[in-house]
Amino acid sequence: MLNYLLFIATIGSIYGLLALSLNLIWGGTGMVNLGLAGFFAVGAYASALTTTTGHMPILAGWVLALIVGGAAGLVVVLSTTRLREDYLAIVTLGFAEVVRLVASNEIWLTRGTDGISGIPGPWRVALGREYFNAVYLPILLVVLLLVYWLMRRIDGSPYGRALRAIREDAQVAQVAGKPVLRFKAQAFALSAAIAGLAGALYGHFTSYIAPDLFLPLITVYIFLAVASGGVGSPAGALVGAYLLIALLESARFFVELIPAVTAVQRAALKELLIAVALILVLRLMPKGLLPERIPRAPLVGGKP
Amino acid sequence: MNRLAIGRRTALLSGVAAVVAPAVLRAQGEPIRIATLTPLTGAGGPYGPVMAKVAAAVVDEVNAAGGVLGRKVQLVSEDDQTNPDAGVRAARKLIDVDKVSAIMGTWASAVTTAVAPLCWESKTFLCTVSGADSITLLPHQGYLVRTQPNTVLQVTRCGEFLLSLGAKKAYTLVPQTPFAQRSIEVLGETMKKAGGTHGGQIYDDKKTTYRTEVDQTMRFAPDAIFCAGYTPDTIVLLKDLYRAGYKGKIIGQAYAVNQKLIDQIGQNEVVEGVYTYAPSVAEGSTALERVKKMSGLANPDPYTSQVYDHTNMVLMAMAVAKATTGTAIKDNIRKITQGGGKTVDNAVDGLKAIAAGEKVDYTGASGPCDFDDKGDILDCKFRYEQVKAGKATLVKVA
Repeated sequence: MLNYLLFIATIGSIYGLLALSLNLIWGGTGMVNLGLAGFFAVGAYASALTTTTGHMPILAGWVLALIVGGAAGLVVVLSTTRLREDYLAIVTLGFAEVVRLVASNEIWLTRGTDGISGIPGPWRVALGREYFNAVYLPILLVVLLLVYWLMRRIDGSPYGRALRAIREDAQVAQVAGKPVLRFKAQAFALSAAIAGLAGALYGHFTSYIAPDLFLPLITVYIFLAVASGGVGSPAGALVGAYLLIALLESARFFVELIPAVTAVQRAALKELLIAVALILVLRLMPKGLLPERIPRAPLVGGKP
Repeated sequence: MNRLAIGRRTALLSGVAAVVAPAVLRAQGEPIRIATLTPLTGAGGPYGPVMAKVAAAVVDEVNAAGGVLGRKVQLVSEDDQTNPDAGVRAARKLIDVDKVSAIMGTWASAVTTAVAPLCWESKTFLCTVSGADSITLLPHQGYLVRTQPNTVLQVTRCGEFLLSLGAKKAYTLVPQTPFAQRSIEVLGETMKKAGGTHGGQIYDDKKTTYRTEVDQTMRFAPDAIFCAGYTPDTIVLLKDLYRAGYKGKIIGQAYAVNQKLIDQIGQNEVVEGVYTYAPSVAEGSTALERVKKMSGLANPDPYTSQVYDHTNMVLMAMAVAKATTGTAIKDNIRKITQGGGKTVDNAVDGLKAIAAGEKVDYTGASGPCDFDDKGDILDCKFRYEQVKAGKATLVKVA
């Protein structure tokens, strides 16, 4: 049981990283990035290939995942500078599909739909299955806390305020003299880099990645997590991610308590339960569990 | 803060409670736990439910006859959603929470490849129906067997069948899957050995039209086409081939070219004469009769028959080992599947014979169920059918 809870907490933390990434770009800057799964995949493949085919240390894989994820983000954002809202969403969704198709078809590089198995985890062999989860989770939590801290710093900084200004009205921000394009590109690249890192952490945890893992479903999950946690608040994004994984997994046990239903009905009930829970959260708390708190503007000419 | 008064603490608490509560509520007992991990939703949705049902029926029967080693057997059925991520999460729950000693019936190759490492690391036995060659090549240390013939065996038989129909120029159309490249290579080798020619291409299975692919195929002027996709893409492909005026032979996997495909196409002339082939269930065997009764189907599919075999084999292996762990199953499964002895077609008879100290040799609903060292089956019959007037009619079983 403990091992399972550790596993679920680890997956939850990886979703948490993705949620922080999405929160920065969607909640913070107002750009809809439906290509999250694509950046997640890019990072996962970058790190998996460096450490398996490239025989490099795991840390190098993670750093590379950050760089490659960020670079992919830059390419996407710079090639879509004139697109906003729905149009940006469509292009980013397309990007994620392109990544998935490349991963399934460029067999020489990615081993195609067979996927890459045997991705090393830190001290996996030495620790054995019993203790690996217990060691990996703290590593992941440290990374998560670092990223969370960074997000809070950005939120409280003038830079974060400029991003929120762009979210509310890019034109006004431009008139106020903010370099909108540069800020957008930076935020997008940072968000993509975090998603890439999340992908790397996922691959080294489960030891196997394949194109089928990076279907748009994962993007939908993270959007749900951020929406139910509170768009624009990093803490909300984290809570949303853990809530989502808790719902996904606990639904399993609840439906087992229902007597006299077949396995299929149970599977359908499980999906239903998750949907109802998420609808309830958004119905009762439309701004999410931990809504964004916008600090009051400081009084000009007030107390010294 | 909110009129409806669900504060954030309450919400968080209920989230935590949601995870913890069921563990407390579940009854503690000492049954032997085994599991099915079949696709109850997603692309494998048409197959998984019956598979789980038949496995449950076998377990019920064994429990009614007194269980295994004096203990009741409990079957846990989880849904892999035909998705590797969901499959891994479900497998984790089965291994760490339910502590099952065997997982049976993983269907999609990607799911099996993702779940297999969890199984061998935790010494849980895995029985699968996935066909990709790469699966038995994984370093599974014996913790895996599959009852589905691998790509080489399947495609070779398909090629031999096409040759027997007089085909000389064959063409393979296959979506990007773990068996795609291998399918093209193997059919190519089979055709060339008999002096024929072969071409092939890999397509994307989520497209809505295959005009370009079909044009390219027609340029090759094949007299036989092997459509190795799944149902949704094969529907589109067959329609486009018909529109392009293709008159030669077509053969597809029976799991794709099924009654659902015929119904969805809705025009019999499009599918008229299309051949299908599949690893055959052991037609006429007593085990298959039992599967028919348990599933309530007149023609149970191969996967259902295979899961029936998985369940019987796992339970009998435990009885021979006098232990219920995954390692016990691994070390003893070949003792009840091959090597002579009293032929049995179900676990109840097998368990009785084992208790009486006899050696048993299980012959199942999917075939003889004899495994090599990698976990692949040694032999299997294939069933060839042809669609005539909107109905699949038997050509031969060989």
